[in-house]
Amino acid sequence: MDVKLETAQKVPAQRTVHGISINADLTTGPYFIDGCDTLPKLFRNRCEALGERTAHREKDYGIWLSYSWADYYRHAKLIGLGLLSLGLKRGEVVSILSEDNKEWIYCDLGIQSVGGIGSGVYTTDSAAQLKYLVNDSDSRFLFLENDEQLDKYLEVADEMPGLTKAIVFDREGLHDYQNDNVIFLDELYALGREFEKQNPNRFEEEINKSDPDDICVLVYTSGTTGQPKGAMITHSNIVYSLSSGLIGAPTFETDEQICFLPLCHILERLFSGFAPLASKATLNFAESPETVFDNLQEVSPHTFVAVPRLWEKIYSRVTILVGDASPLQRWAFNKAIAAGRGKAACELAGDPVPSGVMTSYKIWDALVLKNLRRMIGMDRMRRAGTGAAPISPELLEWFAAIGVPVLEGYGMTESGGVMTYNTFDDNKVSTVGPVVEGAEVRIAPDGEIQYRGGNVFKGYWNKPEKTEETFTEDGWLKTGDVGHIDNSGYVSITGRLKDIIITAGGKNITPAEIENKLKFSSFISDAVIIGDKRKYLTALIMIDQENVEKFAQDRRIPFNDFASLCARKEVQELIGSVIEEVNKDFARVETIKDFRLIDVLLTAEDEELTATMKLKRGFVEKKHKTLIDSMYGGS
Amino acid sequence: MDTNTTDAVLNLKNVESYYGPIMAIRGASLEVRKGQVVTVLGANGAGKTTLLKTISGVMDPEKGQVMLHGAEIQGMDPDRVVRKGIVHVPEGREIFPLLSVAENIRMGAYIRNDRADISVDEEMVYSYFPILKERRAQMAGTLSGGQQQMLAIGRGLMSRPSIMLLDEPSLGLSPLLVSEIFAIIRRLNEEQGVTMMLVEQNALVALRVADYGYVMELGRIVMADTAENLENSRDIQEFYLGKQEESQRGQRRWKQRKTWR
Repeated sequence: MDVKLETAQKVPAQRTVHGISINADLTTGPYFIDGCDTLPKLFRNRCEALGERTAHREKDYGIWLSYSWADYYRHAKLIGLGLLSLGLKRGEVVSILSEDNKEWIYCDLGIQSVGGIGSGVYTTDSAAQLKYLVNDSDSRFLFLENDEQLDKYLEVADEMPGLTKAIVFDREGLHDYQNDNVIFLDELYALGREFEKQNPNRFEEEINKSDPDDICVLVYTSGTTGQPKGAMITHSNIVYSLSSGLIGAPTFETDEQICFLPLCHILERLFSGFAPLASKATLNFAESPETVFDNLQEVSPHTFVAVPRLWEKIYSRVTILVGDASPLQRWAFNKAIAAGRGKAACELAGDPVPSGVMTSYKIWDALVLKNLRRMIGMDRMRRAGTGAAPISPELLEWFAAIGVPVLEGYGMTESGGVMTYNTFDDNKVSTVGPVVEGAEVRIAPDGEIQYRGGNVFKGYWNKPEKTEETFTEDGWLKTGDVGHIDNSGYVSITGRLKDIIITAGGKNITPAEIENKLKFSSFISDAVIIGDKRKYLTALIMIDQENVEKFAQDRRIPFNDFASLCARKEVQELIGSVIEEVNKDFARVETIKDFRLIDVLLTAEDEELTATMKLKRGFVEKKHKTLIDSMYGGS
Repeated sequence: MDTNTTDAVLNLKNVESYYGPIMAIRGASLEVRKGQVVTVLGANGAGKTTLLKTISGVMDPEKGQVMLHGAEIQGMDPDRVVRKGIVHVPEGREIFPLLSVAENIRMGAYIRNDRADISVDEEMVYSYFPILKERRAQMAGTLSGGQQQMLAIGRGLMSRPSIMLLDEPSLGLSPLLVSEIFAIIRRLNEEQGVTMMLVEQNALVALRVADYGYVMELGRIVMADTAENLENSRDIQEFYLGKQEESQRGQRRWKQRKTWR
């Protein structure tokens, strides 16, 4: 109790935002949310106050089951104490290799409550990558989801000497499994219970010990080149990120939200892992990334954050559906979209909506758009977000037209997940919004976006020289992105600094600008522009399977598997026409002279793709070298 | 896939078929060349049987073309399709149980009127299936499952088809009978030059006899390659041939993600 009182005295001036108290001045720390300056304290505060209220839901054999804040606390506590009994010390790392589920967040909060540091590993990572991540982070323990991940661990178990134990969540298929280095989660819970009997107040004491400058999580950046680096994120970073989010992008305690992107990624970790601790909203775990559309319908969330890929998928699902509808339905749909666009255009321009436009919108909304929103599970959507990759402005306008406000934001692992975001009242499509309150953003002479704020990370785990490279001499975070800021402070991003192509002719080109234009075609899911030290630019294209298949079907272009689809002359011509169209927007030296399609259907397991399904330039250039060379006369 | 080859017996282009409101085939394109055995693999509900039914005219495609020797035949009634030269040996045999074996065989020639040749073909069928000759007077319904399958194939041969569609000839048969029937299928192909399209869940036997194969999943063709390459593909081995890489624990319950490469 004394500790609590002591901190209470240090709390700087507060203000209340949507019922939650945060710092009045966000330019300097220490930062507090409802009197808590670390996540474990906030976690305890919420669990005590909310008790039996539902904290999250998970689907089990087709039924949504609810779990309370008290369950949440109890399980996190047993995990934390169990790890202590096995010898975890403050400041040591524990890795988690699992799909999103409640145990993931139990572990995350359990680990950091006792002073440990949670580090997520993607389930799509290979055994070799797992080994690297565990060894690089000096992990003492490793949580594994199931037998599949256990097998991955066993493949490299001998090469991870720092690990004390691996702990498996799910016993399915492993009932008679024996291994001295492996225990199951229920056994860890039992250890925790035993430890609790001996040390009844230990968990709370450990929470009291948490300091805002402690590292709470380690988030590995995918790293398009070189090995991944573990970004050290402190409690203070997250409390700042959450505070600044509460101001312009609030979630309310009555909100339902969905967790489906990997929790290893800073975006989902912040939005699903930590934001509900501040907002008290209810989290729903999607069964799998593949079922997210069904889960959206079932949950109908109030807030939702996704990557552009997912918004594109929803859009193409609806267009395909409408394409197969009756002429009358199609007519009504187009009228409704037009009415929605009319209203959205006024709102976006900041003008009052004329009553005629409003009436037309209301009629079509009642007739068509409302049903459409219900169909895609967005009838209660108050605020949707998109990030982690650029999104087409046309797509945002389409969603605005159907009454789903999707707002773009920008952040990176090293900035605690958020730097800028658009708000509902002041949205500028094709910008990523103004910098968050209390932080600053500037453009360096070479065009790089640089950032300073309360959520700038502490550095890379065991890599001081890499950390140093990430900061300017005067202490600003180098984002590595190139962009500009308009008169009213809205940031636009044009590309990555290190991706800048210098052609043989000496011209500097930002490939992302061209790639984004290409990606905005519904037929192209991703593209990589090639041309560094080459005579001209070329492109490697990953087509959008669903839309190109639909294109081929509608035009009776025969194909069977993915490779044969890519090989069709008509498909090549289709992509060629998209490229020609995009070429018109650019100067001669920036036009694409040739292209090739990547004719294998890539999955998240492929090293060419990031966890958010973006192509990694470095790997693509290496893996498809012959394809690239063939566009330059084969030499 | 080159669709302009002249020796293609059967050609499907962008076929879509519905079972009521459900799209069972979502745009299938494939090709069977003269003298080839082409197999279509897939799990239950992948759309394999629907595909055969669409070819033989039992079902009409919503979109797309079915071409026999380059001429469109989609939407034709099944009896016309048989006259054009496609014979469908359906799943579960479906012979005439109350007719004799010999009568069943002769039924297969009902579209022909060249009596002398019919008897020659009858003898040919009996030479491949000696057991049927032995039981020619017996009621077909009293035959064993394997014999009924032989009868169904034999009956199909009697119309001298340009292509024979076989729907799961291995269904419900003992391993011994399966290998016997597939040996005959191979001989028919090699000695009589019968072009065949073979739908199977038993991937191993199908790939051993086939020249080329397609893999269907949820109404789509996800893979197309020579039978040999298919047999060596990681996904086919794991999902259709039941082979698994040895895991550290010596047993494995989980499945790899399919990539169809």
